[in-house]
Amino acid sequence: MRHRFDFDTLREIGDSLFRNKRRTLLTGFGIFWGLFMLLFLIGGGQGLKQMLSKNFEGFATNTMVMVSANTSMPYKGMKEGRYWSLTQRDVERLKALVPEFDVVAPIVSNWGQTAYYKGNTASPSIKGIAGDYHKVEAPIIKYGRMISDADVEQERKVCVVGKRIYNDLFPQGGDPCGEYIQVGSVFLQVIGVDYSTGNISINGSSADALLVPFSVVAKLYQRGDKVDLICVTGKPGVKMSQMEDKIRSIMSREHIFDPTDEQALLLLNTEQIFSIVDNLFRGVNFLIWLVGIGTLLAGAVGVSNIMMVTVRERTVEIGIRRAIGAVPRDILSQIIWESVTLTLAAGSAGIVFSVLILNVVEAIAKHQAVFQISFWTAILAALLLSVLGVLAGLAPALRAMKVKPVDAMRDE
Amino acid sequence: MLIELKGVHKTYDNGQPLHVLKGIDLEIEKGEFVSIMGASGSGKSTLLNILGILDNYDEGEYHLAGKLIKNLSERESATYRNQMIGFVFQSFNLIGFKTAVENVELPLFYQGVNRHRRHEAAMAYLEKMGLTGWASHYPNEMSGGQKQRVAIARALITHPEIILADEPTGALDSKTSVEVMELLTRLNREDGVTIIVVTHESGVANCADKIVHIKDGLIERIEDNRQHHSSMFGTDTIMK
Repeated sequence: MRHRFDFDTLREIGDSLFRNKRRTLLTGFGIFWGLFMLLFLIGGGQGLKQMLSKNFEGFATNTMVMVSANTSMPYKGMKEGRYWSLTQRDVERLKALVPEFDVVAPIVSNWGQTAYYKGNTASPSIKGIAGDYHKVEAPIIKYGRMISDADVEQERKVCVVGKRIYNDLFPQGGDPCGEYIQVGSVFLQVIGVDYSTGNISINGSSADALLVPFSVVAKLYQRGDKVDLICVTGKPGVKMSQMEDKIRSIMSREHIFDPTDEQALLLLNTEQIFSIVDNLFRGVNFLIWLVGIGTLLAGAVGVSNIMMVTVRERTVEIGIRRAIGAVPRDILSQIIWESVTLTLAAGSAGIVFSVLILNVVEAIAKHQAVFQISFWTAILAALLLSVLGVLAGLAPALRAMKVKPVDAMRDE
Repeated sequence: MLIELKGVHKTYDNGQPLHVLKGIDLEIEKGEFVSIMGASGSGKSTLLNILGILDNYDEGEYHLAGKLIKNLSERESATYRNQMIGFVFQSFNLIGFKTAVENVELPLFYQGVNRHRRHEAAMAYLEKMGLTGWASHYPNEMSGGQKQRVAIARALITHPEIILADEPTGALDSKTSVEVMELLTRLNREDGVTIIVVTHESGVANCADKIVHIKDGLIERIEDNRQHHSSMFGTDTIMK
């Protein structure tokens, strides 16, 4: 029959909270600010992470890039400091010897060329690639198509232009496929436009790249069968960091250098880069939670503190209630409800405010990343608030329960 | 027998033991109008607290409407208070942020009576007190007499076995005191409500049919006052 939660319970709570509006407001502000900070930081961290991750966009996460360099150790009678080069035969060798690899794609690059088209100029980095390069760095094909195996085999003089090069050479826009652009002394036919903008790309950003079949680049710039780098991606489940030893032993046998010579063969593992970023954001997240939860806890302690004062002030009122029939549980639940109501109301305002601000931030960031917290984060925050409210109300409620009905008469 | 006290002892122990009640035997019938008189420190407030189940006692027995009131839990004593006792205090003890009618409703709120019936009952009692027009006023907008009448309405609303009034006129002027005492007398005569008034004013005590004189923790004498000649100031005034 008792302890129903009805309109009257709400009114009781409302009455006591509104009795001292300014104090309630200031107390609530602690919670409001705590929750705002927490959610704003979570949203902000998430947005920043996404913006940073954009740099890796389109890049296979399980990629390793190998580059040859001068040896740093003498080996089998050869002096240190000897230069060697990766070759197209290495590509075939890796494909044959390492079944864990999905793609083995060589790149032959050339810089410092100028591209012309009808009086417009651009400075692309020329990237000679194989037909399966798109599996390493996914292009966003705006027009046309990507370089294919057939282009490589038949040494077709074709190219795919990056976004910035496209904008420089074709400022009027439109589909440039079929047009010829002049690069140095040769003309290349445009077969596609790549709109990807990821900043982690091999040998320069993909927006500045002019993708050409590597067989064409090798011929044009007299590279023989030498390649600048070889990109490999692992099959699903393969850890590239565990493949390093195998690669080193194959390459060192072939090119005769010490397999322990880490300088001779540079292995760049994107897994490591990603894990660095991941670790960075794990740290940032930890800080976010530390600061956010800390601020929120400070707010809750404030609520508890003020409720404590309120209970002391209300000794007579509580005594009266006890004298006319309120059981201790009535008093306990009233104080806890007051605390929960205050926390929830202030916290909800905090949620709403942080959602608004995050929306503004997202608009300022031109919607490049999602700063907004998810619906479930908000629900979780509300749940957290309720728990905090109960905890904050606990100590004052226990004190209120100790008020004896005779206190109503003594405390005059 | 509505109230039966047998050899009730009470000792406060605040550093130094203070033996306040030294064996109280008292019987009060249903429908009686009793006043308990005594100087301050005589133990009359302690006796009232025990009668009102606001405080425990150490020895003896207290039966209220046939129930032994001893070593009750907080919950039980709250329930008994709510159902059997109506309190009227010297300082009214209304809740300041509630209107008159909300104050009167409060005991029924703790009984779990629904809103509508509660409000109706409270309005009926306010009407009885002649305060219908003041129902939605807050205590600080009312005079002392009005506040005490609201408090009496609040005490009556649960149909208690007894009304315990602790210095009900202590904070009122003499004219209002007379009004309040007449109201209590009328409730006793017309509705048969058992009323126990604790006071140190002989004029107030004189309204009752039986005066219990307390001195030094013992009942000095019980005076039959059905003629209402106890007060030397006569029956019509309350000396302030």
